[in-house]
Parts: sequence; C-alpha cells; structure tokens
Amino acid sequence: MNKRKSLTFVLLLVLVLSTILAACGSKKEEGGKGSGGDAKEKTLVYGRGADSVKLDPSAVTDGESLGVTKNIMETLINFGEGSTELVPGLAEKWETSKDGLTYTFELQKGVKFHDGSDFNAEAVVKNFDRWMNGNAESNPYFQSMFGGFKGEKNAVIKEVKADGDDQVVMTLNHAQAPFLKNLAMTPFAIASPTAFEKDAKGFEKNPVGTGPFKFVEWKRNDAITLEKNKDYWQKGLPKVDKLIFRSIPDNSARLNALTSGDIDIADGINPSDAASIEGNADLQLFKRPSLNVGYLGLTVTRKPFDDKKVRQAVNHAIDKKAIVEAFFEGQAEVAKNAMPPVIQGFNDEITDYEYDPEKAKKLLKESNYDGKEIELWAMPVPRPYMPDGQKIAEAIQKNLEDIGMKSKIVNYEWGTYLEKASKGEADAFLLGWTGDNGDADNFLYTLLDEDNIGSNNYTYFKNDKTHKILKQAQIEVDEDKRAALYKEAQEILHEEAPWVPLAYSTPLLAGNKNIKGFNPHPTGSDRFDTVEVE
Amino acid sequence: MTSMTPELNPKSSKAKARSPFQDSLRTFRKSKLAVIGTIIVVFFILLAIFGPLIAPQGINEQNFKLKLQSPSSEFWFGTDVFGRDIFSRVVLGSRLSLMVGFASVAISIIVGSILGILAGYYGRWVDTIISRFFDILLAFPSILLAIAIVTALGPSLFNALLAIAIVNVPNFGRLIRSKVLSIKEEEFITAAKAIGMKDSRILFTHVLPNSMTPIIVQGTLAIATAIIEAAALGFLGLGAQAPAPEWGKMLSDARVYLVNAPWTMIFPGLAIMLTVLGFNLMGDGLRDAFDPKMKN
Repeated sequence: MNKRKSLTFVLLLVLVLSTILAACGSKKEEGGKGSGGDAKEKTLVYGRGADSVKLDPSAVTDGESLGVTKNIMETLINFGEGSTELVPGLAEKWETSKDGLTYTFELQKGVKFHDGSDFNAEAVVKNFDRWMNGNAESNPYFQSMFGGFKGEKNAVIKEVKADGDDQVVMTLNHAQAPFLKNLAMTPFAIASPTAFEKDAKGFEKNPVGTGPFKFVEWKRNDAITLEKNKDYWQKGLPKVDKLIFRSIPDNSARLNALTSGDIDIADGINPSDAASIEGNADLQLFKRPSLNVGYLGLTVTRKPFDDKKVRQAVNHAIDKKAIVEAFFEGQAEVAKNAMPPVIQGFNDEITDYEYDPEKAKKLLKESNYDGKEIELWAMPVPRPYMPDGQKIAEAIQKNLEDIGMKSKIVNYEWGTYLEKASKGEADAFLLGWTGDNGDADNFLYTLLDEDNIGSNNYTYFKNDKTHKILKQAQIEVDEDKRAALYKEAQEILHEEAPWVPLAYSTPLLAGNKNIKGFNPHPTGSDRFDTVEVE
Repeated sequence: MTSMTPELNPKSSKAKARSPFQDSLRTFRKSKLAVIGTIIVVFFILLAIFGPLIAPQGINEQNFKLKLQSPSSEFWFGTDVFGRDIFSRVVLGSRLSLMVGFASVAISIIVGSILGILAGYYGRWVDTIISRFFDILLAFPSILLAIAIVTALGPSLFNALLAIAIVNVPNFGRLIRSKVLSIKEEEFITAAKAIGMKDSRILFTHVLPNSMTPIIVQGTLAIATAIIEAAALGFLGLGAQAPAPEWGKMLSDARVYLVNAPWTMIFPGLAIMLTVLGFNLMGDGLRDAFDPKMKN
C-alpha cells in the first residue's frame, strides 16, 4: 500500500514538473524570438488574404506571389511611386532605335545578388534565356506579354545579348508598343542565375534576387519572412529589418489582428469597415488607386455559354448596380468594359447591358439553353477586385434563378480554383484582374485573346477580329491610333460578351498610425523598402 | 424497468396497476426542466412543420434596397445583407436543422443497433471486428472526422447529415452491445433458445425491444449534438450550401456584420442555442425518468 502511494506521488510529481518545464520551454522560445538580434530591430508585418502560390515571379500570375517577390527581385525598369510611369530600375537608362526593334539598356554598376554573385549583363541574358526557352505551363505570363517563346511565330523578342559587362541589347522580331511597360512588370524581375542554375526546381521556394529584402523562410498558409538586405545598392534602404507576409484569409479576422497589433498593415479591408477605421485614432486607411476589374467569366467552350445569346442574357440578368452598392459600399464603380476607365483607350461610348430580367428571359428563350443547372464558381478568398466572392455569387445565383437558370455555387481552395478555372473546367466563375503595367494590352490581350488561352484567358474566348485588332495595337506606336484600336476591340467584346464585367473597385487597406511612407501601388504589388515603422 | 419483469421492481408493487412506464412518465413530468425542454422541442417541431405558413417571406427573396434593416414590426428579426427577412429564414431553417438532427440520429441508431446487437449477441470474432471498428471511429475527435468525411464526399447538407450519422454510430453501437451482453444472460432468452426459437427472432422480438430505453435517452441527447455539428459544418461552409437558410451558415455569413448589424448573427445563434438546450433538457429528463439507478 505504502509503496503504491509513493509511486503515485512520484508519478504526480513527474507530471507537475513536466508541465512546469514545458511552460518554461515555450517561454524561452518566445523570448528568443523577440530579443533575437538587435534590440532595435524593426519588423513590418503585412496581413493579406491568401498565401503565395510560388515565389518564382516568372512562373505565376497571381498577385499574392508577385507582391512578395517584388521585394526580393527587381526589374530592369520600375514603375514610379503610385503610378505606372516608367523610372530606372536595375537599368540606369535605355535607348530605343528608330524602328522600335532594338533596345539598349545601360545597367546599374556594383549591384550584387543576395547569394553574392554579380549582377551584370550576362545575368540579364541568362534570365531572358530562361524565360524564352520556357513553355506556357512554366512561364504563362511571359507568353502573355511577349507573344511566345524562342523561335515561335508570334514571339516578340528575337534575341537578348550582352555587350560588355554593363550593356544589354535586345532585338525584337516586330515592334511592340508596350514593350518597356511589360519589362517593368514584376514577373520579369531578374533572378540570380547561380541560384536557378543550381536548383531549377527549388528556386520557386527559395528565391534569390537583388532586391531590398532577402528571403528567409516560408511557412505554407501562414507566413513568409524576409529580412533586410544589408548590402542593398540603394543606400539607406530598406528602412525596416524584417518584413513578414502573413496570410489571414478572413477579412474580419485580419482587421482584428491589426487592431490587436499582430500585424502592421492589413490588405483587403471590407468596405463596410472603412468608416470605423477612419474613426479609430490608432489606425489609418489607405486607398489603392483603382486599376482592376472584377468579373463573372462565362467559359465559351462549355454549354450553355457556347451560345452568345445565353451570355448576353446573363449580362442582362445580373443587377450589377445592386451588387456594387451592397458589397463594395461605394468603393467601386459599376463596370461595363473589360478594362478600367483610367487606362488609355477605354471606350466610354459603349452602353452597358441594362439590368432587365424580362429581356434576359426572352434572350434565353431564343437561345439553345436546355434548362440544365450550371456551376457557378465563387472564389474562396477575398480579392482586391472582389471583397466577398461568396456573397456576390449568392446574389448572382438569385439573379440567374429569376430568369430561369438554376446554378450551384462551387468552391475550391484558391490555388486549385485558379488551376481548374485556367483549364476551362468552370461553367461560370468569379474572378478579377489587377493591371500589372497600366496598359490596355495587359487587360484585353492578356485576358481575352486566343494566344492566352490556358494562361490568363480563363473563358477560352476566341475571336478572329479582336485577335487581329489586339495584335495590331501591340505594334502600333501612335498613341491615338492605338487607343482607337482598343476602343474597337471593346465594342466586339461587349457584343460577344464572354464576361459580365462587375466592378472597378478601389481596394482598401488599413495600417497602424505608426506606419510611414506606405503608398499602395495601383498594380497591387507594393515595395516596402521605403516604409518606416515608428 | 423492463416490461417483462415488473415484479422485480419493489417500488411499483406499492402503487397498484401502475406500469413502470407510467412510473417513469410521472418522474419525467415532475421535473420542471424536462417539461420546459419538451415544450421547446415541440415548439420547434411545430415551427418546422408549419414554417411556410408562419414565415412572411420565402428563403431567398433578395431585395438590396432593404439590406441590413434592424428589427422592426415589418421585419421582426431584421434583414440580412441581401435584404432577406431573417425571421422567415430562421423559421424555415428549423426544418433543415431538425431534419439533420432526426435523420442523422435515426441512421446512426439503425446502423449502430444492428452492429451492436451482432457484436453483443454473437461475441467472439464478430465482436472483436465490430468493436475495433467502433474504437477506430471513436479515436477521432467527432467534428474532425465529420469534416474529413464531408471533404471526401463534397460539401452539401445531405453529406453533412451522413457524416454526422457515421460519427455517431459507435456511440449507439457500444450502448446496445453492452445492453445485449447483459440481456442475453437473462432467463427468458435461455427459455426462448430452449424452445428452439431462431436467432433472428430472438434478436428482434426479445433482445432489441428490451434495449430500447437507453437508446431513446441517448438518441434525444444525440439529436442536440447532431444539430450543433450540422451548424458547425454549415459555418465552415461544408454543410448546407447557399441559399439554404441553415442556421450555422447564416451565422457564418453574418460574421462580417457583427459590429454593424448584430441581429444578423443573434437570431440564428439563438435558434441554435434554444433547440439544442431543448433537446438536452428533454434528454436529461428522460434519463432521470428511465434510468433505474436515478430513481429515488
């Protein structure tokens, strides 16, 4: 009996001790995190709605991936602060030949990649070789922006050559009006050739560039940590020591994390929360200049949307005004074209399909719609162009039901959603696009041309007329003529109706009062090198 | 406590001609909480049956001009962001929640009873296989298992119902098994065997009816859990799909408006709380009434 008692006592003691030790252990770990390095170390935590897909900018098109890599790798040409005006980046200056076929870039000197290797003309050439020898699967955006890959008929770039250590010469097959704008896009950032040559596959998990921040670690669906690049070529930058991107899918939870101080800047603020943030003395509200469109895509290769009349009927059926008022709360305009009005070439003469269920019913009757239920895909995460896809889908579902089209709302995890939609597996899907270079080409050609089926043209829309016009607009150097071409393309797109354009939104962000120097960029990818935490 | 052996109960012999069932009913009626629980349950059942007559609107009559109206004489529970009457949706939602509660528990009782009887009556390797199967199911936290099943089957109300049913099977199975183990040693079973009755007949006419009481008690309590689980799955987007007025889904949709329009959240939440409370009180009352150990 006594023995047993003492045994119980010992066991209890062990239990209590282990609890105490465990508590100590976690405490120690916590302490180590905070007091790790310099006591004055400044960390900026950016909360966003979704995790990145890959950290190789050339392999993705999604904003959450590009938003991170923008701080790790740099492009030859940059966009100015808060605009899409071109300013020098890794290229100090550049010259264009008269015929628009030869571009010469003078590179910055003395720049080094994070892995210690030199940034020079050879590195630039190797990056271009990597992209030009890719394929639609590995480099979807390169195909969209530069017509195709090495040796293909439509390819814009013929060859890229180094001229000495600091000069790169690019020769084109045919002129491309937005060529420099395209080069300034985040996907075409220069990566360290040593890194991607050593481990081509692993690069997307371990990016190396010349940017203000170095990659440290990536915990899937949780956080990506970057640290200050102490040898950054622009002196005095970046201003914070650590930059962390945290994924918090729920908008309200993210705002809560901001108010409780877990994060410093929150992306994707619900329009309905704007007023309370403005009234809170500890927070500030940021508005990202609008350069986006949120839309309902109708996959034209699938029944019933292979019929133009059905697509037009859906356009008449959806009460966009009500949707925009209810779910964007005034932080958006009702959309009528596939590109936002700030972009040159926007066709304001187009009269939008008015909300008219009767007309929609009539059109549907004339069409060959067989009354079958369709799948209506709704994005699972809030996006800058659409704060709450699920609810918007529910409103659309009702609109469609009113004209006699039954639909089932379908959800997938965000990465799967994009992948499946790009393969044309959705009947109708909610999606949107934030312009990456402020050019009409980056909307109309990228999203709705046959060349981009399989990459960014999720509706599989194909039209010979628009294809010809969009291709011509790429070569046309005269701004007015170019704008006229895009206006014509928008008319055809309006008539053919592969989309129901829903809204041009002004994405909202919020930050703590002590954040200085943060200027949300219209492209949706922000550089945090000039941001300060006080 | 069983109808076959009334003379064994010394209490009932005092009151003349009162069966053990009536006795239990008396205990049940005496408990105030149990009666309140029953009233709540009956209220929600009536609501589910006559819902369409009570609700002023359908489940999905969107009108954005009326979005997020606070409760008023026109909209008793206010309106949601689609301008739909929350009162109508809560009333009509009672059907879904009760349906999931009753149907899933019915499925678990049927499946659980069959497995439990087989395990208890035949013993040996049949028992080993079935009991280990129950152990495996019980090893998972129930909501996690339900989530896993729904993820595999695809999110819908019916699949959520199935998942909840599967999760509850071992609870009933074990209960029946232990009951059968004790009943099969009773003399009347030996007697039945002696006169050459077939196993199937013994099982369904003697063993099963005699194990019903704990099932009814456990079943009532399980309905409460099932309703909560259905709401949880709905909240996570794995249960009922839009525009179904499932209470858990309504809660989840209303989360965003917690500060600006709390009524969108309060009423579906209250509905869940009340039904679950009702079934729990009733179940507790039933247990007190039917469990011989609880009798004073």
